[in-house]
Amino acid sequence: MSTKRLVSKEAFFAWLDSLRKDYRLLGPAGREGQTVFREISSSGELSMGYTITMLSPGKLFIYKPEEELFTFRTEKEIFIDTPPVPGEKQLIVGVHPCDTNAILYLDRTFLGGYRDPYYEARRKNSFIISLNCSTASQNCFCSSVGSGPFLKAGEGCDILLTDFGDMYLAENMSKRAEEIFNIKGKKAGRKELEIKSAKEKSVLATIEKTVDVRGLDRLFRENMNHPVWERTADERCLSCSNCVMVCPTCFCYNMADETSLDLSTGRRLRHLDACHEIRFAEVSGGNFRQQRAARLRQFVTHKMNQTGQYGVIGTVGCGRCITWCPTGIDLTEMTKEIRKT
Amino acid sequence: MNPLLPFKARITGIKTEIEAVRTYEVSVEGAFHARPGQFNMVGYPGVGEAPISFSSIGRNGSFSHTIKAVGRVTEFLDGLKEGDIVFLRGPYGTGWPLKKAEGRDILLVAGGLGLAPMRPVIETILGKRTLFGHVSLIYGARNEKQILFMEELRKWGKEISVLLTVDEVLRPRSWKHNTGLVTDLLDQARTDSDGSIAFICGPEIMMRFVCRGLIMTGLSRSRIFVSMERRMKCGIGHCGHCQQYGFFVCRDGPVFSYDEVKGLPDGLL
Repeated sequence: MSTKRLVSKEAFFAWLDSLRKDYRLLGPAGREGQTVFREISSSGELSMGYTITMLSPGKLFIYKPEEELFTFRTEKEIFIDTPPVPGEKQLIVGVHPCDTNAILYLDRTFLGGYRDPYYEARRKNSFIISLNCSTASQNCFCSSVGSGPFLKAGEGCDILLTDFGDMYLAENMSKRAEEIFNIKGKKAGRKELEIKSAKEKSVLATIEKTVDVRGLDRLFRENMNHPVWERTADERCLSCSNCVMVCPTCFCYNMADETSLDLSTGRRLRHLDACHEIRFAEVSGGNFRQQRAARLRQFVTHKMNQTGQYGVIGTVGCGRCITWCPTGIDLTEMTKEIRKT
Repeated sequence: MNPLLPFKARITGIKTEIEAVRTYEVSVEGAFHARPGQFNMVGYPGVGEAPISFSSIGRNGSFSHTIKAVGRVTEFLDGLKEGDIVFLRGPYGTGWPLKKAEGRDILLVAGGLGLAPMRPVIETILGKRTLFGHVSLIYGARNEKQILFMEELRKWGKEISVLLTVDEVLRPRSWKHNTGLVTDLLDQARTDSDGSIAFICGPEIMMRFVCRGLIMTGLSRSRIFVSMERRMKCGIGHCGHCQQYGFFVCRDGPVFSYDEVKGLPDGLL
């Protein structure tokens, strides 16, 4: 059973600041006029009322945009030096439901079969405090895919917060939360949960973008040559990969080796990669996605269907790909167009 | 265990097969168990890695990869010599369903370098010949000079039926086999459509027509298996490069039943 209680924001942030000695504190905070997820030195820097950030916390602090996998050095022979396992404890506060679900999605990739040791260590060392949404941005469609605006299941975070004015309704979701989240509060009862439910309804009412995801697997399979793919690719898609870079569930990476000028030392890096990149599916003698339309289709269908891959839809409905597309390509609109015809 | 850390393997022998194609015998210390149809990520720090299937699987950690020098990694490998080391990660992938093939007639169809991943299958079959029914191999290459494993083909021909064909004949007088596409030979292979199983490896466009030809002979789609080639960086279902409509070819394949992959977008099957 998770402990649910109302705690004053003052007490909550004081508790948060007290954790600085043990954790690297990360959360939504201002930088050059935007709210971004970054390290903070005091809870006073936090902008907990933010709507959405450009980059998601899961792909900044758990699955890193760039990671050194190992280093190597050449003496008489070549040696690979085993990298240290990331050991730093971090606390990420203010993670919205879509981004919390996105971390659960990344878990399926990096912990589902073969385990990625870098991701796994960071995941274990991350204490996550999620925050239910109070507002929605114009591109949010989380409610259509079941990932927001309020977190449903108790998975993916350690503590779940809901804004109650000068208080937070704080729900402990993990054993370690029970252990370290020890500040006093008023036990939340039926009344508070009713208020929470009313708050969810009021946020839901502000979400304008919706998409019907029923039967998308079949719909896409039957419409692989629908004109929307080629038309959107020809007229609007720049293959810039912005959508992939800001996507909290896109997990693809490339590997690259860097060597010193005298070739005596080097390191292998991995960094985010994108299916829009023309060489992404190239093999010797051919390219399976030479056409821009094929690459756009890969991105859109990977987000909107392929529930067969992990048994869940590939999008959390954060809408970032729509917001940050230079030409405003909207995967929900493309889906609607296919359904219409 | 960190699946992203390569381990060392020593090259114990190199054999030039055909132009730009060499077979590297390598051995690793410690236990190493691979199945026919699986692959390693083969490479070198500072150069990169490429997915390469096993062209032979021995005992005590020795095996071979047959590699054509066509890209950055494979051209680097082409410069290595016996005694040098390479770095590997693996074995990865599912492999050919040899258990399922036991007691059945088997048709193997390979094109070009596609014979390499087929060789451990043939070696396994010949090692336990009585477990399998009638076995035919149809192998096609561009011309006589592009035929892989010619000596082995002669040897195998004594125990299984081997049909060879080339697209073009360079020296007509000395070529005693067929000319044309591998699909032209499907009729000549003895297949009992009720129980036969087929393994196919080669260019995807070739596999497409072989699969369709086999279905016309009455073979069930679920007993036709293909080995697919895709770009791969990790080999463990993480990097996403080999994804084909929900599948990770590296992890869910590279061997698939035709049933699973027929008609998928961004492929030729």
